Amino acid sequence: MWKFIVRRLLITMPQIVLLSILVFIMAQLMPGDALSGLIDPNIDPAAIEEQREKLGLNDPWYVQYTDWVTSAIQGDLGQSFRFKMPVTELIGQRLVNTFWLGLATLIFTYIIAIPLGITSGRYNDTLRDQIITGYTYIGFATPLFIFALVMLWVFGYSLGWFPTGGSVEPGLEPGSFAYIMSKINHLLLPAISMALITTVNTVQYLRSEIIDTKQKDFVLTARAKGASEARVYRRHIFRNSLLPVAAYFGFEITGLIGGTIFIETIFSYPGMGLLFMESVLQRDYSVVTSVVLLFGIASILGALLSDIILSLVDPRIRIK
Amino acid sequence: MHYTETESMVTNEEKVPSLAKIIWREIVRDKVALISFLFIILITSFVYGISIFLNQDEIVRVDLFAINEPPSENFWLGTDYGGRDIFGQLIIGTRNSLSIGILVTLMTGIIGVTYGLASGYFGGTVDNIMMRIVDFFLILPFLMIVIVFVAIVPEYSVWTFSLIMTAFLWMGKARLIRSKALQERELDYAQASKTLGTPHWKIMFLQVLPNLSSLIIVTMTLNLAANIGLESGLSFLGFGFPEDTPSLGTLLGYARNPQTLELRWWIWVPAAVMVFLLMLAVRNVGEALKRATDAKQRRG
Amino acid sequence: MALLEVTDLKVHFPIRGGILNRKIGEIKAVDGVSFSIERGKTYGLVGESGSGKTTTGKSIIGLNHITSGTVKFDGVDLTGFKSEKSDIRKDIQMIFQDPYSSLNGKRRVLDIISEPLRNFEKSSKAEEKKRVQELLERVGLSPESILKYPHQFSGGQRQRIGIARAIALKPKLIIADEPVSALDVSVQAQVLNFMQDIQKDLNLTYLFISHDLGIVKHMCDEIGIMYKGRFVEEGTKEGIFNNPQHIYTKRLVAAIPDVNPVNRQRQKVYREKVEEEYQKNYNDYFDQEGLAYPLRQISQSHLVALPQKG
Repeated sequence: MWKFIVRRLLITMPQIVLLSILVFIMAQLMPGDALSGLIDPNIDPAAIEEQREKLGLNDPWYVQYTDWVTSAIQGDLGQSFRFKMPVTELIGQRLVNTFWLGLATLIFTYIIAIPLGITSGRYNDTLRDQIITGYTYIGFATPLFIFALVMLWVFGYSLGWFPTGGSVEPGLEPGSFAYIMSKINHLLLPAISMALITTVNTVQYLRSEIIDTKQKDFVLTARAKGASEARVYRRHIFRNSLLPVAAYFGFEITGLIGGTIFIETIFSYPGMGLLFMESVLQRDYSVVTSVVLLFGIASILGALLSDIILSLVDPRIRIK
Repeated sequence: MHYTETESMVTNEEKVPSLAKIIWREIVRDKVALISFLFIILITSFVYGISIFLNQDEIVRVDLFAINEPPSENFWLGTDYGGRDIFGQLIIGTRNSLSIGILVTLMTGIIGVTYGLASGYFGGTVDNIMMRIVDFFLILPFLMIVIVFVAIVPEYSVWTFSLIMTAFLWMGKARLIRSKALQERELDYAQASKTLGTPHWKIMFLQVLPNLSSLIIVTMTLNLAANIGLESGLSFLGFGFPEDTPSLGTLLGYARNPQTLELRWWIWVPAAVMVFLLMLAVRNVGEALKRATDAKQRRG
Repeated sequence: MALLEVTDLKVHFPIRGGILNRKIGEIKAVDGVSFSIERGKTYGLVGESGSGKTTTGKSIIGLNHITSGTVKFDGVDLTGFKSEKSDIRKDIQMIFQDPYSSLNGKRRVLDIISEPLRNFEKSSKAEEKKRVQELLERVGLSPESILKYPHQFSGGQRQRIGIARAIALKPKLIIADEPVSALDVSVQAQVLNFMQDIQKDLNLTYLFISHDLGIVKHMCDEIGIMYKGRFVEEGTKEGIFNNPQHIYTKRLVAAIPDVNPVNRQRQKVYREKVEEEYQKNYNDYFDQEGLAYPLRQISQSHLVALPQKG
């Protein structure tokens, strides 16, 4: 098993290197360079050229790449020309918001998925199951952003139950109880909207896992021993079907990244997704590349995490 | 030469129906799929038919005397902030969204199938390298990278948009086809072709490919649904169709303006309903196809 | 000169493992096999499953990579032959074991049988169709069935289609890999007799791979017995069946059921005796790894793998 993990880790390193090269190429393709964010364009061109030389912008690409990677590892991702502050600092603020949003979404996802998946799998082909399956079916066909728009329209604007934008009521003292409550209040609608759609995958997966496990020999044995139905489910079926579902946790991260772009745009929630969108629109490219790089690494690590959990849960995978 | 003819007498003439027939039967039997199928046919012929008579320039022309009008006799679904007729935009938008959905599905299909087929057929080191590449592309934050490329590509058009989408969407299919091709290449008929001197590309495309047809049809249908959603999502964010080329996504994009979202439902709700119904219907047909091909597998 | 001459053929498959997926060992599927087949004769390769007989056949036709050794066909060395389109390859064809998977279910009989013709001969559609119809007739199927699909035929008929495809290019050597083991017993004899018929008509040479000694006795002139990638005994049909030397061969021969019920009791006693000898003397006949010893000549046409001291 250690062999599998080491091998999997060995694959991860080149993936991150490739990602960094891809992001670097993207950055090169973008109009303008690090300098355009720093200085007044009305300065004498000769002076600009001098600056370029000094900053190493005329170096061959591999030198620039190495410089870029070295400083990125040291936590220096360049300057945002729009906010006139280091990208690292900027991202730091936004990352916290996205982290809470992501966490809330994950919690809701599992709160919805586990009871629904279990009910649906345990009582398959009953009315209850059909209703739940119907929900997953429709959930698969509904684009997240359309659902979020409708949710915002109905619960945000028409009914007015939730705030329609931002991450916190302005003017509150950070750290105070009211501040935290306001934060949570702003999180709820976006997180629930996202969870209701992303959860259908997990519901369906859990359902089929339970239906599969139900017919396994060890379950039949447990029944034959005379264990009560409740006990069979609690001790045998759930335990064995929840583990593989848990393993998909890492892949959920990848899904969340796409989702936050839509959700944060729609709910004007100041996180990484919104930062990314604003930066693309305003051509603040050092921010754009940094966000892509970070989310790319997050995806790679998410997949790594899932593969490792999966290999712990399912020995068959290790053999591959 | 003597041999008993008894064997030729007992030709098992049991008709094994063709794939097309099974698919048709399964769709007709499944009422939901049938309705979905008819809906798709209806909508498709309607939007493509009507849009011949509609003048796109006429519809996207700004009319400052009819801004943000609610539905009326003149404008069945009202107008947007530029006084443009929503109903006309909806028709042309549906057509554009469908067209690009189909185009991207076909292009990713061709690339994905060819790549997966080659990877699975040759196997070994070739397969290993090709699949590591796919793995890498699959983990990338797809949406962000597409948005960045859309933002930085010079001379942006509908074509470059579909090319960018295609470039990052073929991997899932490649992986699926590859795993099936890996099984097929071990079968005797593929081996037999080699001993008969058939070149690799012919074995891949004339021998193995037909045996993957049902898998390809099912995946492409489900992909079409996903691609329609993806296009509308990207256009919604402002990184898909340009505004002078209406699509379902650009109509939905108006809802990024809180006032439109809150007060002028007629601009975005019809497009939202249309995207939802189209995706649902295409998925229904896709799922029915999946069941049909599974049924065929059961029958052998 | 023999049509096919195989000398010290080795086919090894690597076992990969470890963190970097490097080669950590190998399976010796075929480990130093030599034999030759005379023109117009049938050579039987016998062994249990996993003995390497199919691998031997497949490596001769180029489906498996040959690790070392030579395969000479008509005096030309085939090892290291890259071009599959060469005329030599055209002279060797194969009949596969499973008539269900060896015919592509998505293609019509016409396409299946004309596949080799399309690869090697440029002929018009009409000519091609005529050739296929002739071939179908030759294998005893109705020429009208060219537009049917394989699933519309029975197993025996499918195997005939496979044979039609194999003889389409008028090959000299046909490798028949358990051609009847997937068929009903009632159909087996028909197909085998038919194979003997076309052998005479077309002057074919067969490499006949089988695990069934009864069938091999019926079909073959010379026989090689394989065990774990090596030959344990080789000789003429008479030599092998009347005078088996190696205990492994004896055991196989003893296991052939006798049709005559009168002999049944005697046969049973003999089989038990051989089995007892096999259990007792196993270590004398195989080396420490359980593999056969190198072959030694015991008569003009009979070779046995016995240890040096005998």
